[in-house]
Amino acid sequence: MDELRAALAIARKDIRNVSRYRFLVASQIFTPLYQGVLPALLFGASFAVAGHVVGLEKTIGTTDLAGFIFLGGVMSGLVATAFWSIAMSIRNEMEAGTLEPTWLTPTSRAVIVLGRALGGLFWFAFSQIAIFGIGIAFFGLRFRPEIVLALPAVALAIVAIIGIAYLLAAVVLLIKEANFFIDCTNFLFGVASGVAFRVILLPGVLQPIAFALPTTYAMDLIRQAGLGTRPLLDPALEYVALVVTTAIAYPVGLWAYRRADRRIRRLGTINQY
Amino acid sequence: MTAGPAVEVTGLTKVFEKGRRTIWQRLRREPDTREKFVAVKGIDLRVERGEIFGVLGPNGAGKTTTLRMLATLLEPTSGDVRILGIDVKTHPREVRANLGAMLSGERSLYWKLTARENLEYFAALYHVPPKEATARIESALVAVKLADRADDYVERYSTGMRQRLALARALLPDPPLVILDEPTVGLDPQSARDLRDRVRELKRQGRTVLLTTHYMEEADQLCDRIAIIDHGVIVALDTPAALKRRIRAGEVVTLEIALTGDDAALLARLGNAASIARSERHNGTLAVTAHCASARDFVPAAFDAARSEGATIQHVEVVPVSLEDVFISLTGRALRE
Amino acid sequence: MNAQYLAGDLRALRAAGLMSLRQIRRYPTNLLGTIFWPVLLPAVWVLMGQAYSGGGDPAALNAFASRAGTTGVTLFVFVGYLMYMWLSALLWGPGTALRQEQIRGSLEAVFLTPVSRLVPLFGPTLTNIVWIVMDLFVMGLAAWLLFGVVLPLQGMLLAFAITLIGVPAMYAMGALFGAGVLRFGEIGPAVQFTRGGLSMLCGITFPIAMLPNWAQATAGAMPPTYIVDAMRSALLKSATPADLAPAAASLVALAIAFTILAVLVFRRLEASARRSGMLGRY
Repeated sequence: MDELRAALAIARKDIRNVSRYRFLVASQIFTPLYQGVLPALLFGASFAVAGHVVGLEKTIGTTDLAGFIFLGGVMSGLVATAFWSIAMSIRNEMEAGTLEPTWLTPTSRAVIVLGRALGGLFWFAFSQIAIFGIGIAFFGLRFRPEIVLALPAVALAIVAIIGIAYLLAAVVLLIKEANFFIDCTNFLFGVASGVAFRVILLPGVLQPIAFALPTTYAMDLIRQAGLGTRPLLDPALEYVALVVTTAIAYPVGLWAYRRADRRIRRLGTINQY
Repeated sequence: MTAGPAVEVTGLTKVFEKGRRTIWQRLRREPDTREKFVAVKGIDLRVERGEIFGVLGPNGAGKTTTLRMLATLLEPTSGDVRILGIDVKTHPREVRANLGAMLSGERSLYWKLTARENLEYFAALYHVPPKEATARIESALVAVKLADRADDYVERYSTGMRQRLALARALLPDPPLVILDEPTVGLDPQSARDLRDRVRELKRQGRTVLLTTHYMEEADQLCDRIAIIDHGVIVALDTPAALKRRIRAGEVVTLEIALTGDDAALLARLGNAASIARSERHNGTLAVTAHCASARDFVPAAFDAARSEGATIQHVEVVPVSLEDVFISLTGRALRE
Repeated sequence: MNAQYLAGDLRALRAAGLMSLRQIRRYPTNLLGTIFWPVLLPAVWVLMGQAYSGGGDPAALNAFASRAGTTGVTLFVFVGYLMYMWLSALLWGPGTALRQEQIRGSLEAVFLTPVSRLVPLFGPTLTNIVWIVMDLFVMGLAAWLLFGVVLPLQGMLLAFAITLIGVPAMYAMGALFGAGVLRFGEIGPAVQFTRGGLSMLCGITFPIAMLPNWAQATAGAMPPTYIVDAMRSALLKSATPADLAPAAASLVALAIAFTILAVLVFRRLEASARRSGMLGRY
């Protein structure tokens, strides 16, 4: 109970803190729009023949470019939440000096990440609602009602993403150039999850990586439900793969994070950057 | 929580390795050739409940490292630490639940939150029961005299106010033991005095306070007992008065003497009248710190000695014995060197 | 301005440039970033192009050509991202440098020296040319190695020439941004919004023809639009120097306009800072 209250307090603090920087709030919506969704949409549309994106039809079985891209935006937003809002923000607090007093409280170190995940997911939901609103109003974004069937996949993806965030937090608390690391890996992770295009289009060497990521399966299941796209694998198999990869990602992430915590205590680097 | 001392430390040691081992070195299990730096060398310490205990020493002496080990932020290389009878190695979370710590001051606050919001946040992290939280926050704010500014953003605070807010945060778990790392560093004299008053108040409330400082006046005024630490070793531990009594002198006289020739003969003559704690030669000026029973006897003798050696005393200052003198007599160096 | 002051200013400009070069050496991952991003970002977009065109379906490529003027999607994307990298470096570099000096209080120190006020404004952007040349090289190599696109020699020379002609206009734009940041305060969001706006407007990742008319008109006032367009013409449509002359002329005009604007903004800022003492504050 105490730990739950602590997690909620961390989430509330993160939400408050971000909301006090007006531009940060605006960029929660603007950055995914200009870096991903809108250029991809306009780029994709420039290949359209009489309003139909033939390429998309050929590879995944839908001509709904907007749906394809906005749903890709959901997954890349979720990935960014793990990389930036959860993992990197811990590092930022370390550099600012506010992580140390947090480390001095009896709240467990695992809950400290979990609380941030709640805060991060709040902003994720906020930006997705706004982006969907823009999509529906200006870009003809529509989904099939079956999209609600994707909810279990989204829920599993959230659990997986928190596991991955633990792992990333472990890394960024220990390495020197955390910003660069997060920037690059966040991008690669999104691409390998198939947010921009089908993972079967990736160069051969990268495909095993793509199929090892829980987000790849979640992405595909969401698009199947929302747009009726052709599945990558048998959907039942995709669910199994999603459950299995999530069941691996979470404990491995937690284990790595606990090890990083011990290492920090041995080296005394909690406020030395 | 068991009875017994607030802090009990035995054989506490911390060794840091400089640099990193590459993955390659680790994979090949090459011997660790990194340079080792021993920050704390087998310290024994016992802080009784209800006292204000000071750890005094120059920068880099190992004070902060020691405190961080007590606060469970840093793992000791060897040795045992018990806080309120709880082992920090086996029960770090219990230790944290009973410990109020103020380690890095103003940097450790959220500047875009108000003081109250900062405290609400940390109250939840300290597992303060929600029913008590409001009252506990209010009383912490009152205790550090920030109640009237509680709803201002911390970014609008002065350094002294932020430091006090950090102290208020340390009080949230209603801790029997409060540890403070250099609490007044960077504060103006008024704010520092203010903070010291708050620390005395903590003692009146029955709490134990363990603080580090490199200000000897602060240690002298505030602490019931002091451990003087240098190069990771406790060189002396006693009450301020007893420490000062170690210097068998009533007063300290500093002299500035202009002379041209050799100073050995002059120092020898001065040494007959008092004990010379320190002497330093800068070109034609010799600075001498002497411990004597009475300045009334020593100063005329010093003038006689100077005259007979062809030197001139340009400046004389007589001060009571301070902890600085204790430190000098123990280590041969000044605290701020 | 007499010759003595001019010489001093040039020396100061050189010092500011050297200072930011030193920064590059201090933070080696920046260097790694100059290899990582110019390769990966466009590579992913080329793959996206393949996905949307159904692996090069002629109808889809013709549709693209009707909007972009070329079927060479790979080079189209690479040129666009070259500009994106340039913009990133241009906006982060001087903006961050000025802002850091403001926070550290060293901007005040610079203002206490007799150097021209333009030195702190333009000095840090000098090293920018190092980045852009490096990106040009890395991206040309990546387009060739990853996608087998060989750049025509004449096109490359012309693209390089248009880059050089575009440098003053880009610098002036960067300086205007830098001056704006001093007022605005937060550098991160400022870069995000400016770079975001410019990358949406200037035909960086998709053809300008996809934009509404008002946005196309705004794009006409932005130097990157001309540089990107001229480079694509040179590399994809074997344009001659004469074909690119109008773009070059526009760039020169924009350089003058942006410089005047940047100086005006900076002067105003300085004047208001003198009144309010804001320069050292943050």
